Amino acid sequence: MVGTVIAHPVFGPILEQEGAGFTYFRRHAGSFELRTFTLVFGSLALLSLVIAGGFAAAGAWLIVPFAGLEIAALLTAAAVFLRRAGDFERVAVLGDRVVVEFRERGLAEKFEFHRGWARVVTGKSGMPALRSHGRTVEIGRYCGDEGRQMLARALHSRLGGHRT
Amino acid sequence: MEAAHAHHGHQGHDDHAHGHPTGIMRWIKSTNHKDIGTMYLWFSFTMFIVGGIMALIIRSELFQPGLQIVQPDFFNSMITYHGLIMVFGAIMPAFVGFANWLIPMQIGAPDMAFPRMNNLSFWLLPPAALLLIGAQFMPGGGAGVGWTMYAPLSTQAGPAMDLTIFAIHILGISSIMGSINIITTVLNMRAPGMTLMKMPLFCWTWLITAYLLVAVMPVLAGAVTMTLTDRHFGTHFFNAAGGGDPVLYQHIFWFFGHPEVYIIAIPAFGVVSQVIPAFSRKPLFGYASMVYATASIAILSFMVWAHHMYTAGMPVEAQLYFMYATALIAVPTGVKVFNWVATMWRGSLTFETPMLFALGFLFLFTLGGFTGLVLAIVPVDVQLHDTYYVVAHFHYVMVAGALFSAFAGIYFWLPKWTGRMYNETLGKLHFWLSLIFFNVAFFVQHFLGLAGMPRRIPDYALQFAEFNAISTIGAWGFGLSQLLFLYIVIQCIRGGEKAPEKPWEGADSLEWTHLPTPAPWHSFETPPVLK
Repeated sequence: MVGTVIAHPVFGPILEQEGAGFTYFRRHAGSFELRTFTLVFGSLALLSLVIAGGFAAAGAWLIVPFAGLEIAALLTAAAVFLRRAGDFERVAVLGDRVVVEFRERGLAEKFEFHRGWARVVTGKSGMPALRSHGRTVEIGRYCGDEGRQMLARALHSRLGGHRT
Repeated sequence: MEAAHAHHGHQGHDDHAHGHPTGIMRWIKSTNHKDIGTMYLWFSFTMFIVGGIMALIIRSELFQPGLQIVQPDFFNSMITYHGLIMVFGAIMPAFVGFANWLIPMQIGAPDMAFPRMNNLSFWLLPPAALLLIGAQFMPGGGAGVGWTMYAPLSTQAGPAMDLTIFAIHILGISSIMGSINIITTVLNMRAPGMTLMKMPLFCWTWLITAYLLVAVMPVLAGAVTMTLTDRHFGTHFFNAAGGGDPVLYQHIFWFFGHPEVYIIAIPAFGVVSQVIPAFSRKPLFGYASMVYATASIAILSFMVWAHHMYTAGMPVEAQLYFMYATALIAVPTGVKVFNWVATMWRGSLTFETPMLFALGFLFLFTLGGFTGLVLAIVPVDVQLHDTYYVVAHFHYVMVAGALFSAFAGIYFWLPKWTGRMYNETLGKLHFWLSLIFFNVAFFVQHFLGLAGMPRRIPDYALQFAEFNAISTIGAWGFGLSQLLFLYIVIQCIRGGEKAPEKPWEGADSLEWTHLPTPAPWHSFETPPVLK
């Protein structure tokens, strides 16, 4: 894809294509690297185990189950984090097609609409959505209300429903 | 800190709800870090009042020698729950409240990493508080075991002890969930360009505190569970008659208890490290050394626990080790005090209420630190152990340290939270009343301790009468001064003057430079890009 990356003040990086097309891309907020993440949570779990092991050796073994519970909590948090880590949303207008791709909680989905038929509507949850031929997909998962409005306006001006 | 975009932090958005929830459900179901922070702070103040009333009962009884107002069992119960409620119900939640409000705004994140878990962390607190308060009404009254809950007192106490143990478990769960949330938020949700070494020091102090909490909370949970099983399930962990060891409890408790002191103090350091530069109109002196000093204090806090139990019996080599290790903590603490003073050096200082409380913290916490050094010396501690000198020492650390810092933080961020200014004259009056009455209440306790007055007794010998009367007057004055604080906060919320966008010209963290005042319902939906 050829284009210029623009750091948009409201909804972040947009890849403006030459011509009428455009691509909007947002990731789930996150600055962790997997290595840092493993190091941090691993060191916490290890510290907890070492302390519990020390006390168990002194006879206070009932600390061990609580350290175990805590490690389980850390693992749960890690699982939730990892499930969300690669989440993203991409909305692209490419020639006659409008492509919506997203990965939410680890599950990826992709929708394609005909640019001439797709309409920007308000979805069930209040977010903007694209609708065509009975299919509706909400967009703007990872931006705020203002960002969603701007995304909806940007799309509206590029779709078949646009009236000037 | 400079940013590429300065105006994108406040578009409204919520993954879970698209309008602002209203009514009681706004608070019960809230996943908004600001709402949850507010709830933590109000909960903390409520428990501060409850714990404060208990303190006033204690001090009123001690106004004169002899038993005047309460029976010894009730007095002991007040001693226990005053400590537990102030530590677990007032001070810790206050700083978690600050963390909730400030960490996302200071790192450019939209919310905490796990908002629903954040909600649960808070809502575990009220039932725990009810258990602690309800324990007073159990048959036999509250457990008169002290906040340390030493065996065999705790293994023989009445049913109130079981409620207390349950409450501590709930508080521990809440703390662990909160800590995991804070660690993940700080490490994962920083805005682009917000490197760890650019974070405001408050975020650093909470990151380190959360580590401490995760490390020591299972130890406390294990200790109280072993107490429970000794009480009801025939185990003998702490029962010498059954082959157990009551001193083992002390080791376990203080392995938790000493880091707990820093769990309270380190976020207080963070707040003061935000306030002093703002009113000195200079960046914090020695930022990196502050981070390393904080981490050093946290690491050392695991290695000094037995200085609380020199008199419990330990080899002289162990006494020497713990004495030297404890004294070593003065080095990183000294670095911090030096840096705060150096920050003020040749700064354009002004003395608004937050700065006054920060300076109060600096003077009184340093004094509390010095008496800590005195107590670290084994032969001195053997004389002063379990006397009022210890009570004076830890109140200088906890009240003048943590509480004054919390007041500094509340006055500092109140305009950001409410969009309104507090009454500066009343704020200063609150500071001076608190400072004077605090010292009236607690400074004389050093003399009582040096003269040999034991702690945790409802009656005492006649020679202690004058200083006890003075201390009680100070305690009442300090307690009543806090009603003025409540008035100031309510007046600010309901009718304070509109706050300017940036009421403190020296404040330079993201919540002041990138967000409007008051902070919007949602902030930093799109992360700011920082240079």
